[in-house]
Amino acid sequence: MPDIPGFFLDPAHWTGTTGIPNRMLEHLVISGLAILIATLIGLPLGLYIGHTGRGANLAINLANIGRAVPSYAVLVMVLPVSLSLAPVLGYSPSLGLNFLPILIAMTLLAIPPILVNAYAGLRSVDRDLIEAARGMGLRETQILRRVEMPIASSIIVGGFRTATLQVIATATIGAILSGGGLGRFIIDGLSQGLVGRDSIYAGALLVTLLAVGVDLVLALVQRRLVPRGLRGRAEADRPGGGRPALTRPDSTPV
Amino acid sequence: MRTHRVLTLGASLLVLLSACTTGGGASPSAARPSTASSAPSSSAPESTAPESTAPESSAPTGEKAAIKIGSDNFYESELMGEIYAQVLEANGYPVERKFGLGSRQERIPTMDAGDVDLVPEYVGSGTGFYDKTKIGGDGAENAKALQEAVASKNLTVLGITPGEDTNAFVVRKDTSDSLSLTKMSQLKDVQDQLKWGLPADCDTNPLCQGALEEYGITYPPKQREALGACDVPMAQALQGKAIDLAELCSTQPAIAQFGFVVLDDDLDTQPAENIAPLVRNDYLAKVDKAAFQKLLDDASAKMTTEELTKLGVLVAVDQKDIEDVAKDWITEMGLLPS
Repeated sequence: MPDIPGFFLDPAHWTGTTGIPNRMLEHLVISGLAILIATLIGLPLGLYIGHTGRGANLAINLANIGRAVPSYAVLVMVLPVSLSLAPVLGYSPSLGLNFLPILIAMTLLAIPPILVNAYAGLRSVDRDLIEAARGMGLRETQILRRVEMPIASSIIVGGFRTATLQVIATATIGAILSGGGLGRFIIDGLSQGLVGRDSIYAGALLVTLLAVGVDLVLALVQRRLVPRGLRGRAEADRPGGGRPALTRPDSTPV
Repeated sequence: MRTHRVLTLGASLLVLLSACTTGGGASPSAARPSTASSAPSSSAPESTAPESTAPESSAPTGEKAAIKIGSDNFYESELMGEIYAQVLEANGYPVERKFGLGSRQERIPTMDAGDVDLVPEYVGSGTGFYDKTKIGGDGAENAKALQEAVASKNLTVLGITPGEDTNAFVVRKDTSDSLSLTKMSQLKDVQDQLKWGLPADCDTNPLCQGALEEYGITYPPKQREALGACDVPMAQALQGKAIDLAELCSTQPAIAQFGFVVLDDDLDTQPAENIAPLVRNDYLAKVDKAAFQKLLDDASAKMTTEELTKLGVLVAVDQKDIEDVAKDWITEMGLLPS
């Protein structure tokens, strides 16, 4: 039987670059960076198609294809490219090995939920409300910022939660390409034969705890972000609880 | 609506495509329906009759029981598995292929559980999985040590190949030229100038850390990346200069492909890694063991390091189908029954 408590009680596993705190930090850095980039790409795109309804089919379908491509495949497909671009773009080949492939794979993993939820959140806003805002003379950006985004905030943050959970759990595979993070415990354990089992179990446990912990924090953020007046109905607008993403809300003629 | 349909089609095509490029483990041959293997039990019910009456005594060489052949999830293991499979098939044994089982750590429980009857095994690393101190530089000795290690698991090691696929420390041609580096014993003087690509388990592996220390290298090296030994990313990282020294396998096609220089292991630190079929005893009890073993031993005997490397390039670089490569090879080597 694997001795998981023994792994955690070993003081050597708590210090230095190979210790749990540093590995956890590395894990959070790569995950956070991927989520940040994915947000910069996915959120404006999702808000744009959600607000205008333009290009929705294309964007949603592309995003869903993105979800279907395995991260491991992205990792090994990016590696030769990121290595060969190093001398061209002047970054260190080490970055092309242990950093860029996993960053790109995790960013691609995080974009779809962020984009799709931003779109779905905006589409779930009552059309009458938007027409009323327009009638009151609000500009399109004002409608987006003051009407649509607050109402959709719960669903939009839901996209971050899904993306973050997936990225933290999947970033472990970066260890295959010499990346840091909690995946090291799993990959190193795998390569050590029978003696590596404790490390594998401990690594999996740490990743799970980190993912669930971060998700809990985000759940609190999500609750706070919803405007007070909407907290009752926000529950009904949770992903899966709202309208189906691709149906147009019924528009009653004004 | 129309664009929607086109996109859906495109999406499903892409999924299929990605499944093809990544599903190396689940080779098409593994998915091949094994109609043959189920035949004996369904079409020959008399074989289930009490053994004492021996109704199937027509075969003096013993019954040719169906065999489940597995392999690890890399081309060389699969290639050896396929060669053994085709030799047995040509001699009337129904074969079910279970290739791409994973690494040794994942494959051994599968075999212990009886889901696989035979796998190609490397006698050095195979022994090392149980006891790293028992590995040596001689193939026959390692095979003996492996047999001792797996005896309690009711497994038998058959004859070894003369060819072997052992660990090799490899540098790029430019590194070799600029540092005039050709031997492992020269490494200690330049160790800090190099970025080392070493497997993650090097610290606990006497064949890695132990061997490097034998050469006077201070372990761990200052700059180090953890990559799987003999993995494609390790070779790509070396080629892309993310590392300057890589632990690869001596038959690895990338060495020939990229013109890497294999450093001479002048202190003979690396184990002999000849390949041998590892078979479950309960399967051997069902067949004429001597006849069965002779078929496989004859095939193994033809597999030299040169042949292994040659076939490896065909499979891993030229992307030839493993089945075809194996078929051509056993035909060329005269291993088919006349």
